[in-house]
Amino acid sequence: MDETIAKGRVLVIDDSAMVRRYIRDALERRQFEVQEAFNGVEAMEKVLSAPFDLLVVDVNMPKMDGYTFLHALRARDGEIATIPALMTSTEAGPQDMAAAYAAGANFYLVKPVSQDDLIGYANALTGRSP
Amino acid sequence: MNRIDIQRGLADVTDEEVRRLCEFVYRKTGMMFAEEKRYYINRRLAERMEATGSTSFQAYFATLRADADNEIEHLINSFTVNETYFYREDHQFRCLTSTLLEVIAPKKKAGEPLRIWSVPCSTGEEPYSIAIWLLENWDKVDRYEIEIVGSDIDTTVLRAAESGTYSERSLMRLSKDLIARYFTRLDDGRYRILPELSSTIQFTKANIVDVGQTGAHRNFDVIFCRNILMYFDDTSRRLAAENLYESLRPGGFICLGHTESMSRITSLFDVCRFSDAIVYRRPLGESHG
Amino acid sequence: MPLKKRESSQEAAGRAPEPLEAMIEALRHPDPERRWSAARRLGERPGAAAALAAALPDEADPRILEAIFTSLIRLGGESVPFLLPLLRSDEAPLRVGAVEALQAMPAGFAPHIEGLLQDPDSDVRIFAVELTRKMPAEQATALLCRMLDREEHPNVCAAAVDVLAEIGSADAVPYLERCRARFAREAFLTFAISQALHGLSRTAN
Repeated sequence: MDETIAKGRVLVIDDSAMVRRYIRDALERRQFEVQEAFNGVEAMEKVLSAPFDLLVVDVNMPKMDGYTFLHALRARDGEIATIPALMTSTEAGPQDMAAAYAAGANFYLVKPVSQDDLIGYANALTGRSP
Repeated sequence: MNRIDIQRGLADVTDEEVRRLCEFVYRKTGMMFAEEKRYYINRRLAERMEATGSTSFQAYFATLRADADNEIEHLINSFTVNETYFYREDHQFRCLTSTLLEVIAPKKKAGEPLRIWSVPCSTGEEPYSIAIWLLENWDKVDRYEIEIVGSDIDTTVLRAAESGTYSERSLMRLSKDLIARYFTRLDDGRYRILPELSSTIQFTKANIVDVGQTGAHRNFDVIFCRNILMYFDDTSRRLAAENLYESLRPGGFICLGHTESMSRITSLFDVCRFSDAIVYRRPLGESHG
Repeated sequence: MPLKKRESSQEAAGRAPEPLEAMIEALRHPDPERRWSAARRLGERPGAAAALAAALPDEADPRILEAIFTSLIRLGGESVPFLLPLLRSDEAPLRVGAVEALQAMPAGFAPHIEGLLQDPDSDVRIFAVELTRKMPAEQATALLCRMLDREEHPNVCAAAVDVLAEIGSADAVPYLERCRARFAREAFLTFAISQALHGLSRTAN
């Protein structure tokens, strides 16, 4: 089985259409398969409905913020609880980063995210060679 | 302005403008218009531009954003089938008997009824469908007392629901067997549901945005609230969702229409994924009202 | 037949209104059911906004938090002064809850929006931009365009671009182009502006 296809499904969770477009643009150019969600509730719906290899999660989103979503995801049974997650945020304080790791993020990126950084972390978290 | 102006305005709509429209609808409702369906989207957009007399995309989009004359509702309606008929979206009824009731029923104490709410029930197709489906498909249907309540804000449709007469078209998804078993054919070609069935459904008036009215509707195990919340404004549907949450027993389930999502409404409910359906659940073990 | 019609419930017979103070106290009750009930019902009591907002930082139950915010929305304008400070909160649920609540009352936040768009905290400015999405499009476009000419933080500009992509008109084009030139080395921002321009102008690229 082709590794790149097996390990490349990414869910991009952000309420900004522009951010989702930008991240999609970067990921698709590296043959990742991208789906989108607007907030933590929709993200949960999508995660329960299809397999994903990576989540890119924003913090400030309506209805359910990124921390709350990740906490809820990590508390669930089964494989979905351990999906690697890249957290993104405009908030750059140490307490925000600490909160991200406490919620179960694997890495925390401060916005604006560079496409190169994004791809680097995406490759790392999905076990692809760079 | 005339048709030629409208056609010209439509011919001018760019892919990017359609994208703006799709993003707006996605943000507001969670409905995602697929890229492959671009032709279909253009057709619906053309209809709506004509209906609103918009000679440019900009003009139409401004109307849509302002939700003038309920344009968001009209646009969504142009994408969905909003006809009501028996066994509509029956994959959710399948989920009801194969999963939801199997979870809920074992926890019932002796004599405790299973309560199901269909709201809005409109002219009754949904609550009657639930009743028929249970009788036909749930092997435990004789072991439990089942109360089905159908509610609507409109008393005219409630009266129609109580009378239980329907056109042949409304029965189009039912087999001849089912029709023969649960309906009698009237002289005018319409069908009436058996009185034994219509007498078992309680029809009530209710406005789900009104806390007082939903307060009278409580302790439901399953709520079907399909294809109504998406038409409410942000605050009303948030309020309605809270009211519906209170109307559910802890551990109870609520089903929305298959194009709807709680993600634009509330995070009160836990998301559950069962074979064909996304269903929302009031958590167990916490009592909130 | 197992289907049974129940006689109509007497449960919701009119309740005498509970004293405001008792309900406010119940916002701190150890029983979550009592707190939920109080949070919901205070949404119908003018004057309750202060008490509702005061309960937010100590409320750990996210469902009760949501009910409190819904009640603040229902109370409308009186909630605004209590919602604004929450934009600075360290707690994400309070921040996003406040933004959502304010978005439901454009008339309420309108007098504050210019100030918020110039707040020293860039994250507050970002929230302010998000609020403008709910204002009349022409007004919001004018505010955001003016802001684009002076804003230093790329994330704030990006937030404005996201909103302008939805609500803007061809009027925004020169402001977007200037911003793109100013922030030529900001990859995300220039990407977003180019995308926005595609949607707003036929001649722009």
